Amino acid sequence: MKFDKYTKAYFILILLTLFAYSLGEFELINKTLFIILIITTFIKGSMVIDYFMELKDVSLKYRIIPMIWLFTVLSGITIGYYF
Amino acid sequence: MEKSKNKNIIYPPGDAGIWIIIYIELITFGLFFLGYVYSRRQDVELFNSSQLALNQTSGFINTILLITSSYFVIRAVHSIKTYEIKKASIYATRWLNAAIGLGGFFLIIKMSEFVTKYSQGINLSTNKFFMFYFLLTVFHFLHVLLGMIILFNIKEKTKIQGYNKNDLKGMQTGASYWHMVDLLWIVLFPLIYIIR
Repeated sequence: MKFDKYTKAYFILILLTLFAYSLGEFELINKTLFIILIITTFIKGSMVIDYFMELKDVSLKYRIIPMIWLFTVLSGITIGYYF
Repeated sequence: MEKSKNKNIIYPPGDAGIWIIIYIELITFGLFFLGYVYSRRQDVELFNSSQLALNQTSGFINTILLITSSYFVIRAVHSIKTYEIKKASIYATRWLNAAIGLGGFFLIIKMSEFVTKYSQGINLSTNKFFMFYFLLTVFHFLHVLLGMIILFNIKEKTKIQGYNKNDLKGMQTGASYWHMVDLLWIVLFPLIYIIR
């Protein structure tokens, strides 16, 4: 069975959400897994921006705004929790 | 996506105005997220102990519901782009109905969470954590509600074959808003429910 880019993105989003939930449910959060969780959240956000919002192929100046937003917010969370 | 004739600029899908709204919404929520992080630093113990009162499973289910709903919306847009108008409208209407339904489930779960908290005597003024919890989730809840109204209107127009391959800007405008609601929750879920 061949899946299109939207379905592939959807499966990745579900898997990464399951990963995040497992970390919380089984109280596995430590500093390393926290960083991994932040990275996977960035990947999830990027997938929504690129594939669901369909910004992957638009001019960089339009795509960069939500990407910078995502990066800034997640960096702020990382600094606030980690340091 | 729209390509300009003179320059090689590819514009985002939907109306330009919705992107201004989306960027403003992202900044607003972003400031709330950072405000939450800043406040947590002042009293980590309070935030961590209060967070234990939240139901991570309902947060997880709601994340799955919104992601799936967002996926259904992009499937509706894709149907309009791919098939001839009659078939496209039937398929897209089904996808949109499913997306609205999942949005409805999201609201029900969130509402039951609010009622549970309220019946436990927890509200906006309980402490700083719950102030942020209610502020962020109620604000987001209202965005989901508005998104569902937008999707419903798009669905009604889709049903009467109001969109086609060459004219789907209106649908993409509403779809972009719905994906923004999903994007916000993707950050909100780990921040409020998971990270300790």
